[in-house]
Amino acid sequence: MDSWLTADMIELLRSGLILTLLVTVITTIGAMVMGIAAGTASMLGGRFVQRIARIFIEIHRNIPALVLVIFWAFAVPNVFPQQVRQQLFFNNTFWDALSNGTGLALPYYFLAGTFGLMLNTSGYLAEIFRSGVNTVPAEQFESARTLGANRRVVFWQLMLPSGLTAAFPAISTRLIHNFKNCALLSLVAVPVFFHGIQTAISKTFRATEFLLLATLVYLILTALIAALLRYVETRLPMGGHHA
Amino acid sequence: MLDQLQFLIENLPHLIIGFPGQRPGGLVMSIILTIVGLGLGFFLAVPLALGQLASIAPVRWISRLLVDLFRGIPLILLLVLVFQVIGSGRFGFVLEPRGAAIISLTLYSAAYQAEILRAGFTALPQQLDEIGRMFGTSRWQRLWHIHIPTVFRTMRPALTGQTISLFKDTSVVIVVGMSELMMSARILLGNDVNNAPYWVGVYLTVGVLYFLAAYALSKYAQSIEQTNQILGRQTINTLP
Repeated sequence: MDSWLTADMIELLRSGLILTLLVTVITTIGAMVMGIAAGTASMLGGRFVQRIARIFIEIHRNIPALVLVIFWAFAVPNVFPQQVRQQLFFNNTFWDALSNGTGLALPYYFLAGTFGLMLNTSGYLAEIFRSGVNTVPAEQFESARTLGANRRVVFWQLMLPSGLTAAFPAISTRLIHNFKNCALLSLVAVPVFFHGIQTAISKTFRATEFLLLATLVYLILTALIAALLRYVETRLPMGGHHA
Repeated sequence: MLDQLQFLIENLPHLIIGFPGQRPGGLVMSIILTIVGLGLGFFLAVPLALGQLASIAPVRWISRLLVDLFRGIPLILLLVLVFQVIGSGRFGFVLEPRGAAIISLTLYSAAYQAEILRAGFTALPQQLDEIGRMFGTSRWQRLWHIHIPTVFRTMRPALTGQTISLFKDTSVVIVVGMSELMMSARILLGNDVNNAPYWVGVYLTVGVLYFLAAYALSKYAQSIEQTNQILGRQTINTLP
């Protein structure tokens, strides 16, 4: 092996890569659930619920992911005085247990950063899901109503399968974006892959090698994730689109 | 609470236009970066989009490769790559954070705009080209006077969406130390422990500033989309 890619560095990048993929999986699942929930609430909810859902969606779509990440990770703990902050966010049995279990030095930053990314992506997904549902012909909703379907049936039988299928290409694009956004967690001291790259550079001063390696890894991973999402797309229910 | 408010009011100008005696920063710099990245990116995006539709295979491959490269990596990585590798003096020049930020944003937005323009060029009605040919125009005349303006108009909603996205992405240039809205907030708060209570207020304000600019742009995009639909219908009706 070349002298710059020592066993230490490989271990650093390997654990970073695992963490990046973990954040991607958590934010993808969380944002899908939150996004579909918010999108549905903005369509099916009462007037008040609809308004709350719209505000949630617009806030998280129009604020950069980085601002949300820094807000939840760095700004929120600063509300409390020094002593309380340490107790609440960093030094108590809960965080110690989490730290021991995951091997992360500061698990709060990990959770807060992940939460920020999740909020950002869920705002986008809610809007995408809504536009997907909007492509479902109105007659289908009318026939559902004629058949006496309640909101729950309309959601599970019509909106979710048809809306998801119609919106899936746009959802894929956003999920790939979400994967790339995980690199932002390096700015709140979460040792994700990109953070590992930066640490490696500061230790070895081999910027070119490590950055080109990172580029290669990212290109392979985005291609793999894109392929995976295309596969998922072919397996989706066709919903009402055959009608 | 009152001192929170006072701190914010005193420092709001710094978040919007930067610190006195320095280059412009804050929100103004974020907007400048967006405009520059978008404008320069457009001129790169046209050849990249046309290259993907070219009849010569290597041209197609290279354009496809470049677009996939800049779309496939996070902007934060592209920024560090440009700043520390290309701008490190290895190629005979050293890039300042400003230069690195502009180059990265240009390349990044060029790739995304190229995808949008490619879709626009593919969807161009055949008749437009035939009409142009009837008037005896050259290939480049048709490209410059017919194709690009038409694609630009039909794809304007998508391009505006890209603008909003790029505007929010400028927050990432903090990684090379470029002084825009995010960096101004960080400089403002500094390492002073006494500033800790102001963190939430400052980042809420930063969020509000980003929100207002992005939301206004997206409302503008919606209004364009509506007029475009009306215009589009007219265009289709008047085509031979």
